[in-house]
Amino acid sequence: MIDLIFNPLLALVLAIVTGLVLAVLFWPQRGLLARLRRARRMSDRVYSEDALKHIHKAEVKGRRPTLHSISGALQIDPNETAALLGRMTDAGLLVDDAGTPRLTPAGRDAALHVIRAHRLWERYLAEETGYDEAAWHGQAEEREHELTPAELDALAARLGHPTYDPHGDPIPPPDGALEPHGGLPLTSLPPDQPGRIVHLEDEPELVYAQLVAEGLSPGQIVRNATVSADRVHFWTNGDEHVLAPILAANVFVQPLPEEAVEPVGGRPLTRLKMGESARVVALAPGLRGQERRRFLDLGLLPGTEVTAEMRSPSGDPTAYRIRGATIALRADQAKYIRVTE
Amino acid sequence: MSALTTSDGRLASFQQGQPPIDKSPQPATGGPPTAETILATAARLRREVGLTFHEQLMEDIYADAARLADRAVTRPGEAERFDLDRSIDRIVTSRVWGFPMMILLFALVFWITIIGANYPSQWLSNILIGTIYPWLNNMADALGFPWWLSGLLIDGIYLATAWVVSVMLPPMAIFFPLFTLLEDFGYLPRVAFNLDNIFRRSGAHGRQALSMMMGFGCNAAGVVATRVIDSPRERLIAMLTNNFALCNGRWPTQILIATLFIGTLVPAWLGGLVSAAAVVGIAVLGVAFTFGVSWFLSRTMLRGEVSTFSLELPPYRPPRIRQTLATSIVDRTIYVLWRAVVFAAPAGAVIWLIANITIAGQPLAVYLVNFLNPIGLLIGLNGVILLAYVVAIPANEIVIPTILMLTVLMTGASGVDGGAGVLAQTESHQTIASVFQAGGWTLLTAVNLMLFSLLHNPCSTTIYTIYKESGSKKWATVAALLPLAIGLVVTFTVAQVWRLIAY
Repeated sequence: MIDLIFNPLLALVLAIVTGLVLAVLFWPQRGLLARLRRARRMSDRVYSEDALKHIHKAEVKGRRPTLHSISGALQIDPNETAALLGRMTDAGLLVDDAGTPRLTPAGRDAALHVIRAHRLWERYLAEETGYDEAAWHGQAEEREHELTPAELDALAARLGHPTYDPHGDPIPPPDGALEPHGGLPLTSLPPDQPGRIVHLEDEPELVYAQLVAEGLSPGQIVRNATVSADRVHFWTNGDEHVLAPILAANVFVQPLPEEAVEPVGGRPLTRLKMGESARVVALAPGLRGQERRRFLDLGLLPGTEVTAEMRSPSGDPTAYRIRGATIALRADQAKYIRVTE
Repeated sequence: MSALTTSDGRLASFQQGQPPIDKSPQPATGGPPTAETILATAARLRREVGLTFHEQLMEDIYADAARLADRAVTRPGEAERFDLDRSIDRIVTSRVWGFPMMILLFALVFWITIIGANYPSQWLSNILIGTIYPWLNNMADALGFPWWLSGLLIDGIYLATAWVVSVMLPPMAIFFPLFTLLEDFGYLPRVAFNLDNIFRRSGAHGRQALSMMMGFGCNAAGVVATRVIDSPRERLIAMLTNNFALCNGRWPTQILIATLFIGTLVPAWLGGLVSAAAVVGIAVLGVAFTFGVSWFLSRTMLRGEVSTFSLELPPYRPPRIRQTLATSIVDRTIYVLWRAVVFAAPAGAVIWLIANITIAGQPLAVYLVNFLNPIGLLIGLNGVILLAYVVAIPANEIVIPTILMLTVLMTGASGVDGGAGVLAQTESHQTIASVFQAGGWTLLTAVNLMLFSLLHNPCSTTIYTIYKESGSKKWATVAALLPLAIGLVVTFTVAQVWRLIAY
């Protein structure tokens, strides 16, 4: 026995096999344990709440929810979906309106609770944690089924009763209805008309990730240059952006009267040459939560003079002279600070 | 609402960007507003103030405060100081001189520490172990202590504590003040500034360079030093990886083993150089693990923790030597030493007890060693080394004396003073080498001992400090088990591959 263990080749193979088995079992998200836990969580209630959400969304957008659209959204087969809808009708959440499922008042309340949980949780992740934007939606999809109304009220109070989630969607009040964001797709904004981004569609995730990569976030002012069948050119934060129309249609804007728009302009702080000074114009809306507060603590306010002092020999960070103190900031933070040309 | 109305001009600009507030749909009633209509109006206004309402309000409050301060505060005579600062900064952060200066300065600090600590260490050891220890033994004999009481108190508790103090105190009393002087002068923030890019890539903070340097002196002090990192996630990373900086208690182990086993592989005139290179190699490996594990942690366990970076580069100022000495000796040296003593005393008792409690004529230690031996051999070490690492969790300084004592106990090798449970003391490399030979050590044992000394759980002082600093049992547990797991995997793999190639 001992001799067998001390055969190095055997020991090595045994160890590698053990390592692989452990990895298959415990790998986060893809491991068997994680899958098992997810499957357990995927109870009837979760499916039912996801179905309510889907039907509610369809009603808001004026589309007709069908058995197939629901089974597509839930990724389960149509027979199971039909059985699920039957049970939900029995529970008084849905009524059948000539083949189209419709929400009862109880069903609408339940749907709004889940939507409120989802959006509050996204807001929480944006404000109080370090998860990046791409991770918010996925995590909220899981937490929305776990939070109780009492927990939601406590969370809302802690966050200062926010009215919008970080994508610009309104968060429904505890017992109220949902107001639509009221924006129109960027593709419909006439050229040269300014607009404010009110909503970024966070589904599908791939599209949302591309919008985030472009640096877009709700609250920004945009202005279309040209809109054609295969390209949308627009300006925001003083930079020109180009998106395919299929992506641009996921950005919703509210048109603004010309005179209501301050020229935000400016350039990111990172463009400042060494020794050059400029005044802060604004902190970009993409800068949130604790990081934004930290910048305000440092005195980075509109009008503050900033001088680029020196750059680290390794290229990043750069030290800036701010209100008599020398503060080093990394390029991926300084890009959120807009300064005068 | 008062903040909105006091922020005069800025309120207007804030509303300009919004869709004009629709004032027409007032409640149809002509009479005074009821509670419901007020609430409805409030709810409508809340929606209309828009997305960035909180941020805007906060920004306005800060802007007001800044305006008041600018009006009231004047800063005369700042310009000249600032010019001098800038000239120094140009040199210490320059592309050409920045890194060489840094390496030179730290090499100097380490050199002064190692050379300077030798003499007081020798002196302390002569007093505590050479003079007081025999005197205590004589006292105990004169007072008629039973053998087990004097053994437990003097050979166990006193000797382990004296050992830790004499090895630990002098380097710390030199290293910490030097380090604090650099800190006080304002140089250390520039080091963080120079190195930040490398740390950023592994998800860490530039100031981790400082806690890591401090960790080369003592990991517990390094963990305390992470207080300068103000971003929660990066601070946790720095705490959890500090153990990969080879601390003062482990340098002597590395140097001894490298000299005995690695240095003797080459001709004598090259020996010193090669063993020094081996020790530096282990320290560099530790730095590599710091970056690798930081990278891993920031992408897995610590993904959701908040991260806010900013690094102030304070003005230079002449170091205040007396305050520096006082604070570094009191805050760092005495603090760490006291903790170490508190933990080392019971360890001394345990070491003495396992060597002197006998079951069926055999000391307890023999059973424990035999039990641990298969695991030890599997990872290229042996039972004695593993047992020494278990009982020496309180202080890495006593690992080698414990290994020597246990090996003598197991094999009956001669040439080392002291009896069962008495931490072995010898200066002669010849004697130590012969004891290791008797214990069946090979080159593999030596290499894996060096690796395991770098990659195992931090000492109990450090674990306790991590618990106090992070306020979390979870992170203290991770800090203890993660390096141990890495160490077991690394030594196991090295052992198997070594055996495959050797046979």
